[in-house]
Amino acid sequence: METKIVSKRFHIPESYKLEVAKKHGVYGSLEKLFTMTPDEVITAVEKSNLRGKGGGGASCGQKWRYMPLNDPRPAYLIVNADESEPGTFKDREVMDKDPHLLIEGIICSSYAMNIHTAYIYIRGEYKWLADRLNTAIDEAYEAGIIGETLMNGACDFKLDIVVHRGAGAYICGEKSALIESLEGKRGHPRLKPHQKECEWYFGDPATVNNVETIASVPEIVEFGYEAYTKHGTPKSPGTMLFALSGPVKNPGVYELAFGHKMIDVINTLGGGMKDGKKLKAVIPGGVSCPILTADEVNKAVLDYESMWDIGSTLGTGGMVIIDEDACMVEVAKNIIEFYHHESCGQCTPCREGTGWIDTILHKVIHQQGKLSDIDNISDVCGTLNGKTICVFAPAVADIIGSIVVKFRDEFETYILNNQGAEHE
Amino acid sequence: MSNIVNIVIDGKEVEAEKGAVLIDYLFKQDIDIPHFCYHPALGTDGNCRMCMVEIEGSKRPQISCDTPVKEGMVVRTQGENIEQVRRDILELELINHPVDCPTCDQAGECKLQDYYMAGGFYESRLEAESKVKAKKAVDLGKNVMLDQERCVLCTRCTRFTDEITHTNELGIFSRADHSVISTFPGQELESDYSMNIVDLCPVGALTSKDFRFNQRVWFLESFEAICSGCSKGCSIHVDHKKEKYKDDQIFRFRPREDHDVNGYFICDDGRLSYKDENDNRLNDASINQETVSTKEALTNIADVLTANPNDTLLLVSPFLSNEELALIKEYTLNNGTTLSGYSPQYYDESFADDMLRTSDRSPNRAGMMALRINENEKDFNELLSQKKVIVVIENSYFEDKAELFKDKKVILFSSKDTKVKEFANTVLPVASFLEKDGSYTNSESVTQHIKSGIRKNAPVGTLTSLWKAIESLSKEKA
Amino acid sequence: MKNFTLTPENQEKFEKISKRYPKIDSMMLPTLWLVQEQEGWISPEAMITVSELLNTTPIRVYEVVTFYTMYNTKPTGTHHIEVCKTTSCMLCGSKEIIAYLEETLEIKPGETSADGQFTLSVVECLGSCGGAPMLAFNGDYVENLTVDKVKTLLKESSNGN
Repeated sequence: METKIVSKRFHIPESYKLEVAKKHGVYGSLEKLFTMTPDEVITAVEKSNLRGKGGGGASCGQKWRYMPLNDPRPAYLIVNADESEPGTFKDREVMDKDPHLLIEGIICSSYAMNIHTAYIYIRGEYKWLADRLNTAIDEAYEAGIIGETLMNGACDFKLDIVVHRGAGAYICGEKSALIESLEGKRGHPRLKPHQKECEWYFGDPATVNNVETIASVPEIVEFGYEAYTKHGTPKSPGTMLFALSGPVKNPGVYELAFGHKMIDVINTLGGGMKDGKKLKAVIPGGVSCPILTADEVNKAVLDYESMWDIGSTLGTGGMVIIDEDACMVEVAKNIIEFYHHESCGQCTPCREGTGWIDTILHKVIHQQGKLSDIDNISDVCGTLNGKTICVFAPAVADIIGSIVVKFRDEFETYILNNQGAEHE
Repeated sequence: MSNIVNIVIDGKEVEAEKGAVLIDYLFKQDIDIPHFCYHPALGTDGNCRMCMVEIEGSKRPQISCDTPVKEGMVVRTQGENIEQVRRDILELELINHPVDCPTCDQAGECKLQDYYMAGGFYESRLEAESKVKAKKAVDLGKNVMLDQERCVLCTRCTRFTDEITHTNELGIFSRADHSVISTFPGQELESDYSMNIVDLCPVGALTSKDFRFNQRVWFLESFEAICSGCSKGCSIHVDHKKEKYKDDQIFRFRPREDHDVNGYFICDDGRLSYKDENDNRLNDASINQETVSTKEALTNIADVLTANPNDTLLLVSPFLSNEELALIKEYTLNNGTTLSGYSPQYYDESFADDMLRTSDRSPNRAGMMALRINENEKDFNELLSQKKVIVVIENSYFEDKAELFKDKKVILFSSKDTKVKEFANTVLPVASFLEKDGSYTNSESVTQHIKSGIRKNAPVGTLTSLWKAIESLSKEKA
Repeated sequence: MKNFTLTPENQEKFEKISKRYPKIDSMMLPTLWLVQEQEGWISPEAMITVSELLNTTPIRVYEVVTFYTMYNTKPTGTHHIEVCKTTSCMLCGSKEIIAYLEETLEIKPGETSADGQFTLSVVECLGSCGGAPMLAFNGDYVENLTVDKVKTLLKESSNGN
């Protein structure tokens, strides 16, 4: 069922070590890379239709095209390793098990955009992974893979890679907040530009790509875009690291070509529900994607377009599985606590709205709920949607709004039965 | 001309400058777009999300503070959709706000209150006990009080200390709805312009310690004037009030937007100088320390001036208006008295900065110079030793130099109570700087006119009216 | 206020890492990490020192420190236990783990045990949903928790001291 491109070395013991990974083909794309022009690399990535794996799903090649050409300013690649979306734990697998693949991807991407400094912005909690990355980067410098030249002079191209640790802020996964943070500030997302353009790090052009996206590039370089597009669906070609968590038998990260049925993945790779429980719902791609009921899960197909068709999104591919024992009021409360805690507080609707929903659900859980609270939550979700600087608030509206709508009966029963604090 | 584009606002076709910030253009058209964070001096921040408008072709409402004007743009600022959006966001602004208007000093000039009233009342959907609690009545220093619960986190104040004064005293701490504005632990505001954040604050989070609880703003009257604290002559609003059974009193100065002079701000010293207008006033006319009527004093002065024109030195000051200075200069030319504007005591190098404050702490030296009134030190000292009659007009030079009056006859015109009156033969109170009309020319040659709105119960005569009375008395004698 | 200084080793690290960025401003988070690794927390005095190192003002440092939840603005115990409470962990039993820790250590989240050994924090998603429920023990991830596993962890770490 799995199609292993990014995860092809995950099963090899000590694959994080240069000597081991090298034996198994890491940096194999570079020989080909150096025969290509930067434009050819970008074209290959465009044609592969590689899409951002951090949740947005935007075309990677198009994004790279926003980088100004022949610009005298230094340019930067910023790898987004701020993986913090609940239900998402795939980038850590790449950094843990195949850090040299990420370095290889950084080399290919930097070469394509004429970038000589790459930062890996990693969430602060992944300290152990930052250490692992630093060890791998040290190995790469020592082996002459990066540094003043690439591959010991095989390509006269200077490249430095720096690991930069965050310090506990989900919002820094938003690319402009990430750059603010990298610039040493609070992670407040920037206002969106009025035209399509690259990002800016201290006023210099920069591009921000997710770890998995960058780790997918070597395959496209080495074997051509056709090798990538032969997997998946016409509109969502290639593969993605899907994750399963919650009460399934085999939670974990699995690389799949796009187009598999969600329920098959849960039952086959996930081994089905733990303790023979019934599936109740799935939050498909990190907790910011609209929830799917068990009926919807049966219909859901894991590619971007199919997920839109059933009113949700693919997100990061991190599926949170919910079984029949779970109380949806508590699930909603748990999720809003996360967002309330993580709202950067910059713009009004998000700062105040997340707290307000949290307060309403707190009352509901503490036996003071009213039926009108359900509509109040929906109202606030409406206000959160489409009025903020970044997509944090719309995500809250999507997930909380969808839980309240799809499990309204459960909310009503909960409130009417006044179950409250005793409920487990 | 290519810079002018055609746009449609609320169904009306208008011309606008391409690339201008839409909200600025709407202000110019007198369309009051609700907003908290945008301020023309501080630019766009986009955090409050109140200034939303509908733009045809945009899926979602857009904030007008971050929308450049474009050819063919169709903008709607009214209508149920967009008004609902604003109501929704306003409700969120208020959700953690204590709604303590009855005890809040901002009431009457609070945007939150204004928008709430304009948007239609509604019941709060969050009980008071569930609101996020924060610190109230924090003294930030420099006469500024902070109430964190009332703050809408528009960051105007932090941007002011960051971008305008570069003193960086204020910041945002913590995250989400626990975010608050404050200073670094143990530190206070330092800037000489700190009190501007009180005006910048659109709500009651930052209030003036000097003004708070003194007056309800809706009882105040206001007139436009300039500050006399230095030769910059910053444009101000004078907020005053004449209470029943009490005299007219000034309660505060506020900066008045003036792009030729001060922009949007004034310094704290200037702002608090309103007290000088109220305090320490000279009330009674006197001759040889005996209180007399104004009429008696005027007759006495007319007698002295008529008797000794060639032996009289008139000392004016840069606190007088252009009109007053011209009047006295003309008198000198007609009557053979001598005139000086010597006033070095108003120079204070330590007061000057690179923002608004200048080293000349008087408002009209440029006007005095334009009238070619001599302020040369040597000339003044020579005249002082020669002349027997010294007429001091609103000039504090002799404040601590009374010994120079030895063997002189001294006539004092002053709005302030001063030690000099003890050494003066004749003393006559005059209307203060803000109690009279007049024009003043600042250090950058900008001339501004004041029309006073003060109405005292027993108004003191203006220098102009008193001087004219002296002139006609002198003529009668002649 | 007492003056705070980086140890010579950390000062050396600071200078070395600084070279990796085009502007010193980017050293904010790395420098605060050096401070926290050195002291266990970030005091106002340290913030002033950091502001001097970065050629900025203390307020900017304070803004940053209070934005990022991993920076401690007060000292923690010898061992810092951060239990994830977010969705997947909740669905897999994090409540039970938190309750056990509260009961055993006799502290609430955010508090430090009387003997100064343990600080308990309940945190949002640590990106370890496949190993739920989980916690970070002094930063190291411990996954697929059971009460027994936590019991052993506490025992071993107490013995270690």
